[in-house]
Amino acid sequence: MKIARKAQAGTMQSSDLMVALEPADELSVEIESTVKKQFDHLIRAVVDEVLARHGVTAGRVRLTDRGALDYAIQARLETALSRAAER
Amino acid sequence: MVTQLLSSGDVALAKAFIEAQGLAFEPGFDDLVGVFEGGALVAAGARAGEVLKMVAIDPAHQSGALLGELVGELVRLGRSAGHDGLFVFTRPAHATSFEALNFRLLASHATVALLEYGGRFEAWQAAARAALAALEARRPLRPGATTGAVVVNANPFTFGHQWLVEQAAARCGRLVVLVVREDRSAFPFEARRRLVRQGTRHLAEVLVLDTGPYAVSAVTFPAYFLSRADPVAGIQMELDLALFGQRLAPALGVTRRFVGTEPRCATTRAYNAAMRRVLPAFGIEVVELPRLEAGGAPVSASAVRAALLSGDVAALPALVPPSTLSYLLSDEGRAVRARLGGAEGRHA
Repeated sequence: MKIARKAQAGTMQSSDLMVALEPADELSVEIESTVKKQFDHLIRAVVDEVLARHGVTAGRVRLTDRGALDYAIQARLETALSRAAER
Repeated sequence: MVTQLLSSGDVALAKAFIEAQGLAFEPGFDDLVGVFEGGALVAAGARAGEVLKMVAIDPAHQSGALLGELVGELVRLGRSAGHDGLFVFTRPAHATSFEALNFRLLASHATVALLEYGGRFEAWQAAARAALAALEARRPLRPGATTGAVVVNANPFTFGHQWLVEQAAARCGRLVVLVVREDRSAFPFEARRRLVRQGTRHLAEVLVLDTGPYAVSAVTFPAYFLSRADPVAGIQMELDLALFGQRLAPALGVTRRFVGTEPRCATTRAYNAAMRRVLPAFGIEVVELPRLEAGGAPVSASAVRAALLSGDVAALPALVPPSTLSYLLSDEGRAVRARLGGAEGRHA
């Protein structure tokens, strides 16, 4: 799928994350996290897996995370992707 | 649940609540939100453009999740309005609460801390460092040589700016010219930066960059663009300079800041004085250079704007370099001149 418009999902609460998507020519993933030092690579792995599963090859993906678990990251990202998709 | 406070009754409640928390209620916001509990307001906050303000939480609720709820909603609303990055001014004691929400501390000075959400400073810094590295590859800095900086609005670029840059460049190994990015001036940012580039092209040691929103911007120093006197202008200009000392200068390796003496404008004069007060604490030497004068008056951008306004085109060649002159006389420049009549404020 294609990131066709700006979209966001999630909250700033503890154990949650906020996802912001916007169209771009290339794929980029920016991660801000209160637990970045320990878990940056694991968050990135989950994000990459979801993006690959949805066939996303372009767009700017930005996350601000407050220690969300994998399923929360998946759910927020998928929600944002469905909001950003072409209707 | 966070709700938007839209009715005049809700706004009045928010005003009373915010003032009870020791903050000043300032009208002029795009969003005002709050959280009610048992019919009483326990948290409130507002967003004006890209700045979050008046964020207040009832002391009995401060250890919980209210700040995240409130700020999360303000960030969501801000992004919907097209603001990617958001700033918040708060007391230094509260900075860590915002850092836990992934805000990044930009500067802390006296009673104020400025934080940013959205990672834009990192992007600005990466772009600035890449430009510096490209210059370093072309023209390495002599070992032990100083990197200096000047911040200019250049509205538009004059012989005065050119002279200041030449004098400053002669006093250091490398000079970074930071053009104010804020688009509140008669001449648009892209044109101002282009004219600075053209007017300093003969100086190989000069690198022209932009300030981002991190110096003399509507966020860091709004009073610069307003014509009315503002009692908090003093605190703002010191924070603007602390941000330069704590963030911009280290990012660029700058240890000297040059500035032209200011005979006319009281705000700029106060800014220069604040520079001498604030910057040395960060290891930055402030060097004030006398302004270039012509016919007993300083060669300034305001003199150029005045000449344009009165249609005195004959005065221009004495004030601006040929690159600026040809811009002013072009169709693009003419469109700006047409707007000059309606511009307000000292530096508009």
